[in-house]
Amino acid sequence: MLLYLVWLLPLIGAVVLWAFGPQLKSWAGPVGSALVGVSFAATLVLWNEATAPHGLHVGLVSWLAGWDFGLQLDRLSLIWTLVITGVGFLIHVYSIGYMHGDRAFARFFAYMNFFVFAMLTLVLSDNVVGLLVGWGLVGLASYFLIGFWFYKPTAVSAARKAFVMNVVGDVAILFSIFLIVSRIGAIGYDRIFAQTPPPAFGAHELFLICLGLFIGCAAKSAQVPLHTWLPDAMEGPTPVSALIHAATMVTAGVYLIARFAPLWSASPDAQELTGVIGALTAISGAILGCAQWDIKRILAYSTMSQIGYMIMGVGVGAYGSGVFHFLTHAFFKAQLFLGAGIVIHALADEQDVRRMGGLRKMLPFAFVAMLTGVLAICGVPGFSGFFSKDAVVYGALETGHPWLYAIGVITAGITAYYMFRLLFVTFFGAYRGNVDPSDLGIRHPELAGTAATSSSSGHHPEEEEPHRHARSWLMSGPVAVLILPTIFIGWLDAGGNAPWKRYFEGFFPPAHAFAANGAYVPPISETLSTALVFAVVVAGFAVAYLRYGASPALRDAIARLRTETVRMPGVLANAYYFDAAYEALFVRPAYALGRWFYRVADPHGIDAGVREVAVSAQWLGHLFRSFQTGLVRAYALTIAVGVVCFVAYYAFAFTGAAR
Amino acid sequence: MTVAPENYVALSAVLFFIGVVGVIARRNPLIMLMSIELLFNASNLALVTYARAWVNNVGHIFAFLVITVAAAEAAIALAIVVVTFRSRRFVDVDEVSALKG
Amino acid sequence: MTVTALVLGPILIGLALYAVPRERVAIARIVAAAVTALTFALAVADPHAADASLHWLSRPFDASFHLGFGPVSYWIVLLLSLTTFGGVLAASGPRSRDIAAQLLILQGAMNGVFLAKDLLLFALFWDLMLIPVFLVLVGTPHARAGWKYLIYNLSGGLALLLATAAFGVVTGSTDVIGRPNVHLMIGEVWGTWIFAGFAFAFLVKTPVFPFHTWMPETYAELPPPVVAVVSAVQSKAGLYGFLAIVLPFLGVEAARAQTLMFVLGTIALIYGALAALAERDAKRVVAYSSLSHLGLILLAVFSGSVLAIQGAVVYMVAHGLFSAVLFLVLGGVEQREETRDVARLGGLGARNPKLAGALMLAALAALGLPGLAGFSGEILILTGVFHAGFVWPAIVALIAIVLASAYMLRLFQTIMNGPELPDLPERRDLTWTEALAVAPLVAGFVLLGVNPGPVVAVAERAAHVAVPGAVTFSHALNAAEDSRVVGSR
Repeated sequence: MLLYLVWLLPLIGAVVLWAFGPQLKSWAGPVGSALVGVSFAATLVLWNEATAPHGLHVGLVSWLAGWDFGLQLDRLSLIWTLVITGVGFLIHVYSIGYMHGDRAFARFFAYMNFFVFAMLTLVLSDNVVGLLVGWGLVGLASYFLIGFWFYKPTAVSAARKAFVMNVVGDVAILFSIFLIVSRIGAIGYDRIFAQTPPPAFGAHELFLICLGLFIGCAAKSAQVPLHTWLPDAMEGPTPVSALIHAATMVTAGVYLIARFAPLWSASPDAQELTGVIGALTAISGAILGCAQWDIKRILAYSTMSQIGYMIMGVGVGAYGSGVFHFLTHAFFKAQLFLGAGIVIHALADEQDVRRMGGLRKMLPFAFVAMLTGVLAICGVPGFSGFFSKDAVVYGALETGHPWLYAIGVITAGITAYYMFRLLFVTFFGAYRGNVDPSDLGIRHPELAGTAATSSSSGHHPEEEEPHRHARSWLMSGPVAVLILPTIFIGWLDAGGNAPWKRYFEGFFPPAHAFAANGAYVPPISETLSTALVFAVVVAGFAVAYLRYGASPALRDAIARLRTETVRMPGVLANAYYFDAAYEALFVRPAYALGRWFYRVADPHGIDAGVREVAVSAQWLGHLFRSFQTGLVRAYALTIAVGVVCFVAYYAFAFTGAAR
Repeated sequence: MTVAPENYVALSAVLFFIGVVGVIARRNPLIMLMSIELLFNASNLALVTYARAWVNNVGHIFAFLVITVAAAEAAIALAIVVVTFRSRRFVDVDEVSALKG
Repeated sequence: MTVTALVLGPILIGLALYAVPRERVAIARIVAAAVTALTFALAVADPHAADASLHWLSRPFDASFHLGFGPVSYWIVLLLSLTTFGGVLAASGPRSRDIAAQLLILQGAMNGVFLAKDLLLFALFWDLMLIPVFLVLVGTPHARAGWKYLIYNLSGGLALLLATAAFGVVTGSTDVIGRPNVHLMIGEVWGTWIFAGFAFAFLVKTPVFPFHTWMPETYAELPPPVVAVVSAVQSKAGLYGFLAIVLPFLGVEAARAQTLMFVLGTIALIYGALAALAERDAKRVVAYSSLSHLGLILLAVFSGSVLAIQGAVVYMVAHGLFSAVLFLVLGGVEQREETRDVARLGGLGARNPKLAGALMLAALAALGLPGLAGFSGEILILTGVFHAGFVWPAIVALIAIVLASAYMLRLFQTIMNGPELPDLPERRDLTWTEALAVAPLVAGFVLLGVNPGPVVAVAERAAHVAVPGAVTFSHALNAAEDSRVVGSR
């Protein structure tokens, strides 16, 4: 019963807030937050039942035989549910402060609650179609929230792009469902995973199923080459970026692969593909993160890169490590985004780090929050990211993928570089908000996430001074709470043989890899690997420090930033030209073809054909018309001649027959 | 004294031929109507002849039918001729060709 | 009794409405709305209504005035009363009395089409249902569209009538619809011709590529209340004909034409989607999207898979619900802003949240958002089609789903989102009558999306009538599994 409540409370919240938002006024925020909070508490109550061997299971509806829908809360979905409702609750509370005064305050919380409901549908479903339903609904919630300020054309097109790319993933999953259902005849996980490895599928089919599912993951989790929507998705309000585009929704792909671990474990090709794409995403996202100036876009590319890690982890078979990295990432990335949100809010929607600087003194709390997040994401020992990232990277090696391991290590270095770059440029040196944008090399301020020159900032355009924005406890409170797990959540997996480690080990699906079946021995030990990774991280930090943090760099920061902006290679500034390529390959041809269909083919092709039928009928009519002279005697003569012909024919025919 | 049916049939054929020529060759509708009457009567003669020859009354009945139809046809046709004459002051079928396609 | 009332009641009352003075619009609309609500209540209250049958011809073949519910037609009748109710409520302007009256006549005639158990009666109602639409269309400034509609559909109707006559003469009776075990001796030559006649009529009516060119024009020029009903229900008449007539009695010919139908359906799927992507006229966008969706249903009908046919029935109802909402809301937009060109609209959502909400929901259902009715139909259809071995059509359909999300969001966003355009004549949110018109339809596609179970269960009977030899999905699977096990040993 309680599970229904966990699942439905956010939906009820969404409906109530949507319908009665204007009446609730400023109560909309607390109501929305409270519902998610209750949902979180109820999940905690269900802890024991969920950790029982088969978890908790309740039924919903049945479409037809084999198509039964239900909810299930087992260990894997418990992790996700707790993060969704827990982090979700904190971000809801934060949003009360962040969205304060927005015209559509209630609508925002309605969408947020709807997102939580959709995400819970995704992780709680006990079947693959229910998963797809949740998959589609989170895409919708993400669409709503990216396009929340729907009077901004950029937000509108970003929302549409995100939705359509996600639908590409949805239909790929649909394709896998076809394959699964046409073999198994049922949609429930219990039937699909009844036997491992699944005997119903041949190797080829199994790969196709995993491929379809993986394309879905790639679209949702912003993996190369379906990642281009994620940076654009930063058009949404910052709490949205924290909840949806960092902590929960984009990691759904990790959940999917962890859930379908039996299939991945049975298909080496799928594992190989997933691992490679994950590693590619990790490194390419990290490289692009070095070339961004918008604080949220930097974090977006870092999210993409971190999810690349997770996908690589679950892809190569180290499911537990991938899921663990999701858990730590959910906290530290939410932390980073919320910290960035405080900065953006304080600077009246300024997002361009070139126009920040020196904020350490103005916003000390935001600085501490960001610093914790940066240390965690870089994997500094003791912080959560350290444990999970190491596990993922070493997992790649352990399962026999030295190349992926190398990419993972290099990416860790790049991560340290761009995260500290962000930190130095934003918080150190002198404040540059009053510098003319063109001095910093910003040519189109309205395109560069800069609010200073445009008045499109949604909710508080009148405030320009950074100091006037007293940060409310509603915003700093959740961030303060998040600092704890950002540091400590990683310790769940630490402590050698500690009781909590043994307890939580069962939460993460066991690893499975082909090469690891006794054959492959990693060339270096885990401790050595940790040291190696840490050395690379320190190197990344050192480069960032020399370029942005050391005192000479801080002194002529304006000139340096200008040079770097102007000399930015086109391939990085345009994110490897993916958008341009998609535009040229898919969007334009589709529109052109469609236009040709309704402007040319329909009126001049098909209708012209129909018109030809009409014209030929007319021509036939003209032909027959010429016989109708209106002269009675001509008709009579025709009749007479006709009669004569008939008579003659029969006469000759009969005489012929008689002969 | 009985006349052989061949004679009747021959007479009927001659009458029919005269009627056909009348319909085709003349332009006065009244003459054409008379020619049509000739056609009718030629066929009536043939019908009655064969009815007698084969001792079958269907031919007789048909002849009656033709007579009534001929009467109706003559009435309508004469009415048309009168109306045409009133409106045009002449009656030449070749000039009255408004019903062409 | 119930079924006769469903057919004759609306027609008679619709004719009687012409006695109401032209200016008394409110009376006409209230009466019409009451009648449609009553038909809905009647159908809900008496789902097992007995057939009404009156023998009226014995030569050259047996024919009866025979009406009754079938597994597909029951849902369509419910859908029809809901959409007509919405249409009547949404009717506005000086012609609303005529529109209300024509809608009732249309409802009665279409009830006749779907409830007819006699082929001859079916064909007669088929032609009758064209008349109200034609009359409404020639009353608009775009009478040409009316003639195009009539000529296309009457040519189909003529083929249908000829095929029906041939069917009656060859088999001796036309009182056959819904009888599962009639083994008819039609013979190959006659069978081919009769199939061709039926198929032509149904393909034109649905419509399917390349017979679709009357549709965008008709849908664009019809007043919104009428186009809602026409797109929701009339477009299903052809598909229903395939399901209830062609497949059960001309199964051999249908099987022979399967490839052709799949080619046409697949082309319609992608052609409609691409045209909808580029089209600028809002109502034509929906018209082309219908072409795409109906192509998908055609695939399901001819796949020979029980699951796909169950999905087809779900999707027929679903498409009716959401396309009616789309047309009603777009009609509201057109009436307010006096244009349908999406390039000239924008930013309406800011001041009209309910209008935007209704359009959003319908657009989401149309693009197959999981959880709404479009999805439940699509997934059942495509799983069935895929399972029946048609992999490539299923993949094309998946591409069309992606395109659907692109064109539906484009439609919604260009009208409702973006900066508010200053030169639009009027901003008025959904009035309460309009909301009342749309609400039942929205509720319908939400419910059907969450649980299509009841429709699916009833549709299984239809599927077995349509594909007599087929076994249900799970049985087929078990059989397949058994053979696999045997094969592997």
